Amino acid sequence: MNTNKKDNVCEEEVYSNLFRANSKTVFNYIYYKFGNEEKAYDAVQEAFVKLWENCAKVAPEKAKAYVYTIANNLYLNVIKAEKVRLKHADKVNNTNYESPEYLMEENEFKEKLDSALDALPENQRTTFLLNRIDGKKYAEIAEMEGVSVKAIEKRMHLALKTLREQIDGI
Amino acid sequence: MQENYLAKWLNNELTEAELAEFKKSDEYASYQRILEASSTLEAPSFNVESALEAVKNRRTLQESKVVQLKPFKRFLRVAAAVIIIMVGSYFYLNTLNDTISTQYAENKEVVLPDSSEILLNADSEISYSAKKWDKERNINLDGEAFFKVAKGKRFTVSTDHGTVAVLGTQFNVENRKGFFEVTCFEGLVSVTFNNKETKLPAGTSFMVIEGEVIETEKPNTTTPSWMNNESTFRSIPLKYVLDEFQRQHNVQVETRNVDINKLFTGTFSNTNADLALKSISVPSQIKYRLEGNKVLFYAENAP
Repeated sequence: MNTNKKDNVCEEEVYSNLFRANSKTVFNYIYYKFGNEEKAYDAVQEAFVKLWENCAKVAPEKAKAYVYTIANNLYLNVIKAEKVRLKHADKVNNTNYESPEYLMEENEFKEKLDSALDALPENQRTTFLLNRIDGKKYAEIAEMEGVSVKAIEKRMHLALKTLREQIDGI
Repeated sequence: MQENYLAKWLNNELTEAELAEFKKSDEYASYQRILEASSTLEAPSFNVESALEAVKNRRTLQESKVVQLKPFKRFLRVAAAVIIIMVGSYFYLNTLNDTISTQYAENKEVVLPDSSEILLNADSEISYSAKKWDKERNINLDGEAFFKVAKGKRFTVSTDHGTVAVLGTQFNVENRKGFFEVTCFEGLVSVTFNNKETKLPAGTSFMVIEGEVIETEKPNTTTPSWMNNESTFRSIPLKYVLDEFQRQHNVQVETRNVDINKLFTGTFSNTNADLALKSISVPSQIKYRLEGNKVLFYAENAP
């Protein structure tokens, strides 16, 4: 009985836990791709409503891959048109010791990074940010994107390389 | 340096030698800085709990859409009931008899499925089952009717006084309250009254008044007189004559000081009420007063 309950996505508790564990990443994933919060929010809604509708057919261990696939398919034909805006958390500890010149240069660098990120190809940006912000392992990103780990490593490598080239003005 | 070394470096998968070499490169400082800056990046805020709430709301909305199937199911249930009732009543009505009746002062001609003919006199009713007609030719009669039966299987006329059975002939049956008369005009008719069978050859009559079989004279016509818009009586108690008058002319009959059991012999018209009243009152030596739809017969010496 107990094992049965845990095995079924139709169980409210199982479903809610899946949502809490994955919705934020689905949101970020779509946001990194298109830079549109609304689209990202809708993708979360759509993916998890679909998951509920098919809860009897999707095993809990497959649910994660399922929601990423739905979210991904939702905007297959959307071309990124918006700027991906990311916040820079302040390094509270350091602020007091930094000289104004340093802070200015730091801000300049952040701006450069922002525009370089925005200019990246969609798949490189998504991979880079999923790894840097969400702390996703290459294997996890590979599963989400439906490609090999090696392909993700390639994207990561290219992303870093392109970012540096952009920022250093090569 | 191995393939995708930047990705490997982030994952701490470089060998010591590779890492040392990488650190010596000009770009290393830049990469280090990108890494530092990107580690403080944050995605737009996303409230997991409120998003979960929204998803659950949408779920119930979509579930309520599924619920809409139920009215259709209810409709199916109603439709099934209606169909059952319709089919049931179809079969029930099929077993019901066809009924044909006449009002006062009305005659009707009925052609049966086997082209037998029935002429209904006033205030009479016949019923029969058209579906079963091929199996049994049976007519229920209340009132008076002339039958012209097509040749074929046994043809039965059932009345509450008795039954009349024939194979093919022309005959008249009058079945009124307390009065039962069968007259055969052609062929042979068999009348069963009180479990006693009587054969009636052409030109004879069988009459029962108040349960008693009465001998009658032979009719001298080939059709009953009512078919010629006349009513003919031979030694019939006056009350049956007056009943017949009431039926033929749709006039309510009342009597005062009149002996209604007195026998009457004569004929009255079924079309002319004035003439008929005279035909009845003169030989019976009674008077009458006609007021609208009512007629009062009274004895001549009474007021």
